[in-house]
Amino acid sequence: MPRPSVTGILICFFVLTAAHPTRAADADYPLSVDVTNPAALQEATRILAEELKLASRPQAYVIVDLIDRVVVIKGRGVELHRFSIEDWSAGQLADASTTFRLQTRPPVTRRKIEPAAGGEQPPISLDDMPTDFTLQFSPTFSLTVHPSASDDIGRWLRFKGREWWIWLKEWAMTLATGRGPLPQAWLHLTVTSDHAQSLAWTVTEGMAFLVRRPPPSP
Amino acid sequence: MTRIVASLCLGLIGLVLLTLAQSSSLPVTDASIPAVIPDPATLHALQTRYRSLSKQLNHLMPSQPYIVVDTARNHLYIKRRDHVMLDALASTGSGTILDKPGEAKGQWVFDTPRGEFTVQSKLINPVWVKPDWAFVEEGLAIPKSYTDRIEPGVLGEYALGFGKGFFIHGTLYTRLLGKNVTHGCIRLNDDDLKSVYRLAKVGTPIMIF
Repeated sequence: MPRPSVTGILICFFVLTAAHPTRAADADYPLSVDVTNPAALQEATRILAEELKLASRPQAYVIVDLIDRVVVIKGRGVELHRFSIEDWSAGQLADASTTFRLQTRPPVTRRKIEPAAGGEQPPISLDDMPTDFTLQFSPTFSLTVHPSASDDIGRWLRFKGREWWIWLKEWAMTLATGRGPLPQAWLHLTVTSDHAQSLAWTVTEGMAFLVRRPPPSP
Repeated sequence: MTRIVASLCLGLIGLVLLTLAQSSSLPVTDASIPAVIPDPATLHALQTRYRSLSKQLNHLMPSQPYIVVDTARNHLYIKRRDHVMLDALASTGSGTILDKPGEAKGQWVFDTPRGEFTVQSKLINPVWVKPDWAFVEEGLAIPKSYTDRIEPGVLGEYALGFGKGFFIHGTLYTRLLGKNVTHGCIRLNDDDLKSVYRLAKVGTPIMIF
């Protein structure tokens, strides 16, 4: 039986090493995923399976990737736009394992053209879009987007004040009726004001959202 | 004065309490997805499935050049896979509204449609057949004759139709490129329009977001 050469052993070593990357993001692994972590791989596979269904139809969809801290807008598997998430918090995320459809997009005040008025009405632009808003989905899921304190302290305070008011109302309701609000999956994203406005602009009624959740800590 | 200070203090205490309450329950990374017991066979199966799904997704991506329109930042791109072949400043829908005369609740909304479309027609030296809103906007009566609607020389040398009367076309108002000023069509300058006309075919996908 012939002895294997050192070169042969080295080639085999490199081939095997290349075939088993621990963390990958290439054509075979489009998401940044630890391929030795079954939980991470299972989540990435779930996202990919859902995305495959969405990409097979002519539509834009959004992937909120909590692992890479990025929001990606895609169509046909092609990346159309992305922006980073500064911070996030969430609850009941174990229930967020499906495709969510947006119920209504954030409101925007449209200006009305007065016929033959002479001066053109200013168009709506990104600046008209809200910087903090909550999107409601079907099945039940809520996504709240707001700017960070360092980005816009005034808007952050206003957002926190509103959040505090909602929390106070729920607490009072629980105290009065003995029943709290039904638990539901929720996600809060802290992004820059520009990115919040960009997302508010981009989303449309019925748009599909996927949430890539982090794996459990070892 | 004392009342205002007391109210402000209470508000701040509430804010701090809320932040603390949220901090104690968040983030929930540890409980996000169920733990999976590592098993070499399961891991291998997952890796195989992941690679298979990636390949399938890759096949769905357009292999030919496609057009991407960013209505928020008013840019039109022609891409092939991840390579940007053209980055053009554009003008897209203004988002304004105009009441339809004689209809109590009827309105035109001047948005560029979002979603995926295809190039349906390619025209050389197009003429603009002015729709009803163009007359209403100017405070003019809507003409009965088709010939009264025709206005040549305002759409540039080329136009690419993508359905429901929407076109990618040229403009006389190049100073407004980069702004949301149109009635839904996508305007480009002459050079970029020529490149788009040359690179796009009937059937080329247009993704608008």
